[in-house]
Amino acid sequence: MTTITKRSFLKTGLCAGIGAGAGMYWGAASAQKAASLSMTSWGSPAEVAAFNALIEQYKARNPNVAIKLEVVPSGQYYQQLDTRFAGKQAPDIFRAQYQRIGRYGQSGAAIDLSQYLDAGFGQDFLPSVWRASTFRGKPHALPHHTDTFALFYNAEIFEKLGIEAPRSLDKSWSWQEFISAAKLVKEKAGLNYAFAMNWQNSNAYRWLMYLYQHGGQLLDNELKGPQINTKEAAETVAWTQSWFTDGLVPPNTSLKSSEPVQNLFATGKIAMLLHGDWQIPFIQDQAKFKWGVTYLPRDVAMAADLGGNALAVSRDSKSPDVAADFVKFMVEEEPMRAFVTKAQFLPVRKSLKDKGLVYDIRNEEMKVFLEQSATVPEHLVSTIVMPTWDRFNAKLADELELAFTSGQSPAATVANIEKHVRSTLLV
Amino acid sequence: MIAGTSRNALTGRLETTGIWLLLVAGAGIMFFPVYWMFATAVRPKDEVFSGAAGLIPSSFVWQNFTDAIGRVPFLSWTMNSLIITVFAVVITVTINLLCGYAFAKFRFAGRDILFLAVLSALMIPFQVIIVPLFLVVSELGLLSDYWGVILPRAAEAFGIFMVRQFMVSIPDELLEAARIDGASELKIFFKIVVPLSKPIIAVLVIFTFMWRWNDFALPLVVMMKHEMYTVQLGLNLLRGQFNTEWTMIMAIALLSLVPMLIIFTFFQRYFVQGISGSGLK
Amino acid sequence: MAIAENLRGPAVGRPSAADARRYWLQARRNQLTPYLFIAPNMALFSVFVFFPLLYAFYISLREWSLIDTPRYIGLENYARLAHDALFWQSLSNTAIYSFATVPMSLAIGLVLAIALNRDLLGRTLLRSVFFLPVVISNVATAVIAAWLFNDNYGVINTLLQQIGIGPVAWLSSPRWALFSLIVTSLWVRIGFCMVVYLAALQSISPTYYDAAQMDGASRWQQFRFVTWPLLRPATFLLLILGVIHSFQVFDLIYVMTGGGPGFSTTMIVQYIYQAAFVGSEMGYASAMGMVLFVMILIFTLLQWRGNRRVEDVA
Repeated sequence: MTTITKRSFLKTGLCAGIGAGAGMYWGAASAQKAASLSMTSWGSPAEVAAFNALIEQYKARNPNVAIKLEVVPSGQYYQQLDTRFAGKQAPDIFRAQYQRIGRYGQSGAAIDLSQYLDAGFGQDFLPSVWRASTFRGKPHALPHHTDTFALFYNAEIFEKLGIEAPRSLDKSWSWQEFISAAKLVKEKAGLNYAFAMNWQNSNAYRWLMYLYQHGGQLLDNELKGPQINTKEAAETVAWTQSWFTDGLVPPNTSLKSSEPVQNLFATGKIAMLLHGDWQIPFIQDQAKFKWGVTYLPRDVAMAADLGGNALAVSRDSKSPDVAADFVKFMVEEEPMRAFVTKAQFLPVRKSLKDKGLVYDIRNEEMKVFLEQSATVPEHLVSTIVMPTWDRFNAKLADELELAFTSGQSPAATVANIEKHVRSTLLV
Repeated sequence: MIAGTSRNALTGRLETTGIWLLLVAGAGIMFFPVYWMFATAVRPKDEVFSGAAGLIPSSFVWQNFTDAIGRVPFLSWTMNSLIITVFAVVITVTINLLCGYAFAKFRFAGRDILFLAVLSALMIPFQVIIVPLFLVVSELGLLSDYWGVILPRAAEAFGIFMVRQFMVSIPDELLEAARIDGASELKIFFKIVVPLSKPIIAVLVIFTFMWRWNDFALPLVVMMKHEMYTVQLGLNLLRGQFNTEWTMIMAIALLSLVPMLIIFTFFQRYFVQGISGSGLK
Repeated sequence: MAIAENLRGPAVGRPSAADARRYWLQARRNQLTPYLFIAPNMALFSVFVFFPLLYAFYISLREWSLIDTPRYIGLENYARLAHDALFWQSLSNTAIYSFATVPMSLAIGLVLAIALNRDLLGRTLLRSVFFLPVVISNVATAVIAAWLFNDNYGVINTLLQQIGIGPVAWLSSPRWALFSLIVTSLWVRIGFCMVVYLAALQSISPTYYDAAQMDGASRWQQFRFVTWPLLRPATFLLLILGVIHSFQVFDLIYVMTGGGPGFSTTMIVQYIYQAAFVGSEMGYASAMGMVLFVMILIFTLLQWRGNRRVEDVA
C-alpha cells in the first residue's frame, strides 16, 4: 500500500476539484489506491437499496476500493456508533443527522474534510445544510440530503366528508382549520383518532416547527440565551397537548412510544399523518386507499423543520483520503439525484433543485415537500445544529412527553425546558 | 396410607378434576401469546391489521414461512447462533463444572471470598459494563468474531452456583476412596463426579443454551458485520425495518424458538431432577 | 498406590526421606488443584467482568461522551445523583416493579408447583406449557407482548371492543403501562419459579407428611408447618434471583414503552441506558451503575445473613 504524501493529497483534491467543477466525477481513480472501507447507516429498504446501488457505481470506477455498507436498526444506531468510537473501531464512513454533526465535529470523531475539498466546494449546497455540516467553519461532513414534513391525508375519507386539502402553500390551513378537519374526521369517519405526528425516537426537535409557526423560538436571536419561557411557547405546548387531551391523536403516539405512526396511517386507523417525504415509498406500498400530501398547517407564520443527513469520515479510518473521496462522490450531482429520487428525499444542491427532479414515485407529492422545505426558518436551523443539541433533544422529549401524557402544565413545561436550555444546550 | 371412605374418594376426585380444569385454563392463557404468534404468522397478510381478524386465521398461508426465510438470511443467522451456542455450551458447562466442583469439594485459601466474587458477577447490570466490555473485546481483536460473544459470557456465575449446590451433596467418601486408589484429580472428576452430575449437567446445558441463543445486548455491539448476525439480532433488525410485516416477523420469531424447544424437550427429563439436586431441598 | 499409601504415611509410621518428598509434592499438587479448577472461570471473569467493572468505576469519576477524551471530575457524578429527581423516581419505579413482580411470581409459581406435583392427566405437557415462556428470548417476548398489547391493533383490545370495552391504552397511559409490563414479566417469570419449587417439593421426604397426618394436622397445617419451612431455601434463592432480575430489567421495557409514558415505566437500568447513550453522559451513567451494583450487593448480603441466621436458629 502506498503512503499518501502531501502531494498526492493535493493531486487527488485537484482532480476531484476539476471533476466537481465540470459536473463530472473523476475521483481517486487516478490515485489507484487500494482500500477496504466500511460504512454504517440505518435506513428503509429503499434507502439501503439506493446506497448499495451507488456503492456499486463507485466500485466500478475504483476497482481497488471495496466498500461495505452495514445497516444498523435506527433504534440502536447511535449507541453502536458511539460505542465503536469509544473502542477506536468506528467505521470509515458514517451517516448522521445534521443536528449531530456539531457533536461529532467538536470531539473530532468526524474529521475536518477541508483538506480534501477545494475552495468553494460548498457553494452549490443550500446554505442551511452546509452550515449544519460544519463546525467552527470547517466542514466535518458533507450534506447528503434533507427532508421535511408535510401532511399526508386519506383522500377517500376527505372526499367522503367533503374536506378539501389546500392546493397551494399560501392557501395552507390555519391551526384552527386543521383542528376542525381533524374533529370532523374523528366524528364522521368512524375512526377512533384523526391523525398522528412523527416525533418519536430522536425526533423531538420536530416540535419546534409549531413553535415557530406560532411566533415563538427556543433561543434568542443571538443564540445566547433561552427565549422559551414565553406566552407563545406555552400556547404551542398547550395546542399540541390538546391533540392528546381531545383524543385527536392515538395516545401511543407521544414521544417515547415505539409505535411506527406510518403504520397507523397506512392501515387506515387515522386519516392524516404529519411525517416526512421518505415515508412515501412505504405508504405507496402499504396503503390500500387513495391518498395525497398537502402543506403543513400554519399559524401566524409558516414554518417547516429541517431534517436529513450528512455523510462523515471517522477519525478511525485508515484511509481517510479514500473515504473522503467516496463521500464526495456521494454528494456529487448525479449520485445525489439518484439517491434522493429513489429514496424520496430532497436534494441539498442548488443546481439539482433548480433543474427540477423527477422522482421514481409520487412526483406531485414530492413537489409539496420541496415547496414546504423552503419554509424552514434560518433561526431554527442555527438552533438545532448546536453541538450540544443532541443531549438537549432528549430533555426536550422528556418534557413534551410529560405534558402530552402525564398532565404537566404548559407553563411548567416551558419553565422546565428553559432550565434544560441553560444546563444542557448553552454550555 | 389408609384408604378413605368412598365419600372422601369422591371429593378427592372432584377436587382433582377442579384443579385440572383450572390448570388447563391457566395453561391456555400462558400458551395464548405463542399461539397468537403462530396465528399471526400464518394469516393472509391483509388480515393482520384489520380489526376483524378472528382468533383463528381465515386460511392458513404456510407460504408465509417460506417467504420469510426467502427474504431474510435466516439460515445464516441460525448458523451463527448455532455455532456460538454450541461452542458456548461446551465451554461453559465444562469450566463451570470444574469450578463448581472446586468450590464444593475443596478447602483452599480465599475460597469464600472468591465464591462471593463469582456471585457478585450476577449483580452487575450489563448496561453498566457494556462499554468497557466492548473496549476489552475490541482490544483482543474479537469484534465481529464468534469468540467475541462466546468468551465474555463463558463464565456463568449462576451456573457455578448451581453446580456448587449440587455437588456439595456428593459423598466425600467416594472421592477419598478414589484418591486412596491413586486416581489423579482430573480422573476423579471425569470418572466419578461427572457421571454423578448428569442432572445438573442437563440443567446447565438447557440454561446455557437458552442464555446464549437468546443473547442480545452483547452480540449487538460485538457483531458489527451483517454476515455475523445472530437470530436475535436479525429479529431486532426486522422489527425496526419492516414494521408492518407482522406475518414475516412472527414467522421468524416462531422459527427462532425451535432450537430452544428441541433442547428443552430433549433434556427436560433431567431438568427438575437437576434443579432439585442443587441444594434446594 | 504407593503414593496413596504414603499419603497416610505420617499417621502410620516414620516415612523415609523419599516418601516425605513425594508426600510433599502430592500435597502441594492437591493444594494447587482447586485453583487450577477455578482458573478458567476466574480468568474469564477477571477479563470480561471484573476488569470492566473497575473500568466502569474509573469512568464514573470522569466526564465522557464516548466520542471525546474523558476528563477527571472526581466524585461530581456521585454528588449529582443525590439531587437528581429522575434517578430517585426510576429507583422507586424499580422498587414498585420488583414488589409487584417478585412476590406474585413466587406465589403463582408455588401454587402451580403444588398443583402440578399431583398425579394429573397430561402433567408433563402442562408443566412444559407453563415453563415455555422462560425459554423465549427477550426480543421475541417483547415483540409478542408489544403486538398483543398494541393500543390500536392488539388482539387484547380487539377482543375487549367486541364485548364493548375499550380501547384501553395498555402501553400509553401511565396507569396501564406499568400494569402491562408487570403482566408480561409475570408471564416470563412464573415458569421458572414453578420449576424451582417443583424440584424443591420433590425432594421433601414423604415421611414428614406421614408424621404430620398421624398428628392429625389439617392440609393447611401441613403446608404451613411442613412444606413452607422446607421450601425456604428455594424461596430464598427465587427471591434473590427475582430481585436481581427485576433490578436489571431492560429489553422488555425498551421495546414495549421506551420508559414512558412520561417516566412512569422508566426503571433504573433504563435511565442508565438513556444517560449513557442518549444523553451521552457515560460518566454519570457509570456512577449510577456503580450505585445500583452496590445496592443489589447489599440487598443480597443482607438476605444471605438473614437466611443464615434463621437457619442457625432452626
